[in-house]
Amino acid sequence: MTSPVLLELSAVAKTFGDQVVLAPTDLRIEEGSFVAIVGPSGCGKSTLFNIIAGLLEPDTGAVLLQGRNVIGATGHVGYMLQKDLLVPWRSVEDNITMAAHLTRKVTDADRLEARQIAQKYGLGEFLDHYPKALSGGMRQRVAFMRTLVTHQQLLLLDEPFGALDAQTRLDMQRWLLDVWRESGRTVLFITHDVDESIFLSDRILVMSPRPGRVVADLENPLSRPRDLDVLTDPTFVALKSRIMHLLHGGER
Amino acid sequence: MNRSRLTKVLLPVASFVILLLLWQAVVVLFNVQGYIAPRPLDAIRAVSDNWSLLSPLVTQIVKETVFGFALGALIGVFFGVVMSKIPAVQKLLYPTLVLSQAVPVIVIAFPLAAILGFGSVKPIIAIVVWIVFFPVTVSVIDGLGHVDHDLLNLAKVYGASRWRTFIQIEVPATVSPLFSGLKIGATYAITGAFIGELASPEQVGSTGSSLALYVQHAESNLNSPAVYGITLLMAIIGVAWFLIVAGLEVVSTPWLRRTTRRRWRRRDIATSQGDH
Ligand SMILES: Nc1ncnc2c1ncn2[C@@H]1O[C@H](COP(=O)(O)OP(=O)(O)OP(=O)(O)O)[C@@H](O)[C@H]1O
Ligand SMILES: [Mg+2]
Repeated sequence: MTSPVLLELSAVAKTFGDQVVLAPTDLRIEEGSFVAIVGPSGCGKSTLFNIIAGLLEPDTGAVLLQGRNVIGATGHVGYMLQKDLLVPWRSVEDNITMAAHLTRKVTDADRLEARQIAQKYGLGEFLDHYPKALSGGMRQRVAFMRTLVTHQQLLLLDEPFGALDAQTRLDMQRWLLDVWRESGRTVLFITHDVDESIFLSDRILVMSPRPGRVVADLENPLSRPRDLDVLTDPTFVALKSRIMHLLHGGER
Repeated sequence: MNRSRLTKVLLPVASFVILLLLWQAVVVLFNVQGYIAPRPLDAIRAVSDNWSLLSPLVTQIVKETVFGFALGALIGVFFGVVMSKIPAVQKLLYPTLVLSQAVPVIVIAFPLAAILGFGSVKPIIAIVVWIVFFPVTVSVIDGLGHVDHDLLNLAKVYGASRWRTFIQIEVPATVSPLFSGLKIGATYAITGAFIGELASPEQVGSTGSSLALYVQHAESNLNSPAVYGITLLMAIIGVAWFLIVAGLEVVSTPWLRRTTRRRWRRRDIATSQGDH
């Protein structure tokens, strides 16, 4: 089952001043896959995302999305951060349709889609609420719905659950897996949480700092659908140990 | 809720009444001479007894205040936006604007009146504008400068144009800071109008044709009840104008106090197929 390549980076490098933040990096992401990226703080994970999203231009290299060069362009990915970035003056519904508000006239179809998606994922009663009335988990959920309705095939999620408590985070991870399966999107997911990276992904990229580069590209053999039991599966534990050693050095 | 609303109104009113009572007590207890400080009731009577004479003057200064405030707010917003969006303009103008405020208004009032024409309403409006625009400009620059950078980046990632980003994100994010500036401007606006009336007397007569001239006349006659009474009245007008602007703020920032969007802001979708 080989899916077409959605995103391809070749020799993408970035330097800030005299600091090499990203060594020349090659990367191929298949359509429909869920790829996790782990790495120590400051190794250039967010920089990589910013280059893909078009917020930063790399010094060298090429970024191809569906074969199209997207360097310096915007409007081609869904993008979500640890901060939910919901705007306080908009209701939940208007936050979900924010991308439409920002790029064109909002239609009834947009509103209808926002209402349906909110209803489907349990926030139907909160459509007219302002974000401040929501819990952290609900806010992240709204932020993710906002990302989904952009209808971009590629979703860049930069530590989206990093600020949530462990309980809520686990709920969100399971929810994300459901949504991902139903929506057929391609997800690039940055996290500091090794358990999270294994629980969610098909593939895990491990990065090292100074200069930031991908030191390991690991296939995740765990079958889907996954549930909590997988967290104690021997395969899971072995993969975790491998990643921990890659991240923190020491003997293999 | 009723109770908190009651205290919200009652406490400020009570503090005002207490102030008047203290004033009365000090004047009576220390036997202060009437021409230095009248009793509050005398001051109030000095206004109410001459109301038919005063009311057009009061109307006039209120008009100057409101019109000057509105113009000053517009100009302030314009400067704030232009200076935020064009850093070179900000570097160029900011020092001059600060300087303009460091000069006592009284000093510039007379040259301004000479330039714009003694006896016309223009210098009066100009002075109100002068006082009002600055806090508005500063608050707009602050507001626009503190919009969450990640949010602006998110808009960029979506492919938003600068104009839409400005309208959809930067403007609403600046509403609260803008009102801080407007409220400061609202408080000082009437003072500006008063100084303007002093500088640009519309005609010279025995009582004057403006509230400021009336007060000046009363002062020279040692008619302190009138001076105190009109001062009190202007203070009340200033407070009222502040409250109106503060009320506008409440209306335009519902998300700060409400949990849900107002009903009339909700939209029905013709093709809605909600499952209830
Ligand atoms: N605009 C910038 N100018 C200069 N240096 C930058 C800039 N953006 C990032 N850096 C530097 O690049 C390095 C990588 O930053 P980046 O945000 O990509 O790290 P990260 O892997 O996402 O870290 P974290 O896990 O803490 O989010 C850091 O050392 C950071 O200081
Ligand atoms: Mg980061």
